[in-house]
Amino acid sequence: METQKVAIRPALSQAGNTRTASRALMDNWWKQLGEADAAAQPVANTFVMGSLAEVLNTFDIPMSFPEIAALQTAVKGKAMDYLLAAEDLGYSPDICGYVKVDIGLHATGRDHPLGKYPKPGMVVASNMCNTYIKWAEVWERQYGCPVFVLDLPGWRGTGFEYDSSSETFRNDVKYVEGQIRDLISLSAEVSGKKFDIDKLREILGNVNRMSELYQSILAMNKNKPAPFNALTEGINYMGIANILRGLPEGVEFMETVLAELEERVAHGVGALTDERYRLLLVGTACYTNFRDFVGMFERWDGVFVASEYMSYAGGGIDRGLHYDLSRPIESLAEQILITSQPSMSGIFFSHEWQAKMAEEYDVDGICYHGVKSCRTTAAGLPDAREWLLNNAGVPGLFIQSDLVDSRLWAEAQMRNRIDAFFESLQSRRVQSGV
Amino acid sequence: MLVAGVDVGSTQTKAVIITGEHEILGRGLCSTGAKLADAGETAFNLALEQTEFAEPDVAFVVGTGYGRFNIDFGDAQVTEISCHARGAVHLFPGTRSVLDIGGQDTKAIKVTADGQVVDFNMNDKCAAGTGRFLGAASDALEIPLGELGPLALAAKNPVKMTTTCTVFAESEILGWMAKGRRIEDVVMGVHNSIASRSVSLLRRVGIEPEITFTGGVTRNTAMVELISELVGSRVNTNEESHYCGAIGAALYALDQVLTGAGTERGLPT
Repeated sequence: METQKVAIRPALSQAGNTRTASRALMDNWWKQLGEADAAAQPVANTFVMGSLAEVLNTFDIPMSFPEIAALQTAVKGKAMDYLLAAEDLGYSPDICGYVKVDIGLHATGRDHPLGKYPKPGMVVASNMCNTYIKWAEVWERQYGCPVFVLDLPGWRGTGFEYDSSSETFRNDVKYVEGQIRDLISLSAEVSGKKFDIDKLREILGNVNRMSELYQSILAMNKNKPAPFNALTEGINYMGIANILRGLPEGVEFMETVLAELEERVAHGVGALTDERYRLLLVGTACYTNFRDFVGMFERWDGVFVASEYMSYAGGGIDRGLHYDLSRPIESLAEQILITSQPSMSGIFFSHEWQAKMAEEYDVDGICYHGVKSCRTTAAGLPDAREWLLNNAGVPGLFIQSDLVDSRLWAEAQMRNRIDAFFESLQSRRVQSGV
Repeated sequence: MLVAGVDVGSTQTKAVIITGEHEILGRGLCSTGAKLADAGETAFNLALEQTEFAEPDVAFVVGTGYGRFNIDFGDAQVTEISCHARGAVHLFPGTRSVLDIGGQDTKAIKVTADGQVVDFNMNDKCAAGTGRFLGAASDALEIPLGELGPLALAAKNPVKMTTTCTVFAESEILGWMAKGRRIEDVVMGVHNSIASRSVSLLRRVGIEPEITFTGGVTRNTAMVELISELVGSRVNTNEESHYCGAIGAALYALDQVLTGAGTERGLPT
């Protein structure tokens, strides 16, 4: 009995620009990684949280993001091949799916669906995810590459944010700044290039601009209808924000996105033809069944207007990150400390951020998607859900599957929970007379 | 004017035919099996046979349960979460919390006075703490499901089941028997395991009296006792509790006919 909706949209001059640019930039990234691998040029394996792209790009060291690469294998329907290859080597089904996809890729000739998956020439990790460190050690043993682990002390006080006026903070800045200087030395050694502080300034300036643009992009979804889906389109913005962090092409991309979204807003064009429910996503999607997952929400005209993923995987660019170019290294240390805190303390304080987002973006409900193979991101989600319902009156749905492992996807159960959630949202709306 | 609710569950399919005055004229029950559409039709026809009416007299059919989209004669679909909530408040108007132990999943639902869902919580994707756990005990001990409850109530020193996996439960049950434990103590151990997991789900949505227990497991007397003991008050059940999901579906069907409420997707409005 479902009626087919026909989208009648005005012809927009910017339509499709983001998608075209995103594809071209991602293709080019894979091409550059393949060329670097073929030329035996050292590539840095780094992560979306704490990438330190600012330093790596100063030395023109190509960056490979194994998390993004793993996600892409899932979207391409290939993740299971690599997961099983890793499990054949003895890696447990309980281990992070991203790690196992990476292990499987390395074990099967490094042929990624989008290009050649490079060998790491160095690794930049941090303690923002406990798995990063052990993952880096696998590469270290496998390829003998140098590993740099950024140790972020974390705020010892209570609350979500660093107290940046405290003596503790100043001491922490010195501690992190010293580590960044170590990374600069290592990067110089690996790349064979001298450190150019003006180039670092230029890159930091680009990150500042990207951050401003990214914040404006996110704010676009405060409009009704929301011009983009923070899950489907947001994941592309996020990917480019990471791989081109601090580069002119990254700034240009963000300008393209913003221009397209501004035009959509000006013409009242939403991500969905008929937006009925505005949602916040906490966690990630199941990328193996990405379209099915999104479809279960769109079937009810539900759009994700915001996503926690667009925050914690963005290295702080959603939080108005601003480097002081007159003291670049110290400022880099400060900003890393400040912007990493929400991720570091997420288990205990993420509900505060969710309440704020729910209000600012006027969401009808929150979808909490627990990742079975990542307890770090999944821990605390049921508690946050209950807190939001009982203290902020925002209903939440808790579902579970995985980032990349299709064995953890159960369509009937997933759909049942999602349908029931929307039915309850509908009831709420009727009862409140909206 | 008649309407129907058909609940195609993972284990059993239930159907009811009700009048505009909420009187239940017919009930149908059959095993679901592999052919979901056939099961829905069989249960519906069984319910219809108990009435003096024919299929064209049924103005609207709402399907619920995992097989709700397979009911090709259904007019709309609503999830069993909403249907159990609605059905429970209809059967026991003071209901504010609902516990449904189904064949493959268990639902804890907080409801409003008019049967709308405020919040719900379900078991994880595995069948631990569901009716299937009892099925495993029935298979392992070769005791009919209907006899498990009375047998459990005779327990003196129940065993403590440690596994939460329904598949592994069979081997643990046999292990206890091999150790010489009395069968009623083993069966009660199984009941305790399900009851504690189910009530834990209920606690997560917040236990608010009255509590209504729904689904096929309500026919198990030991489980009703245990759940009541764990929540600290007598849970509501009656002979209609088994059909609660189908009753809720029928009430949504009635809404559609009387008010034209809802959308093309059969939303409970």
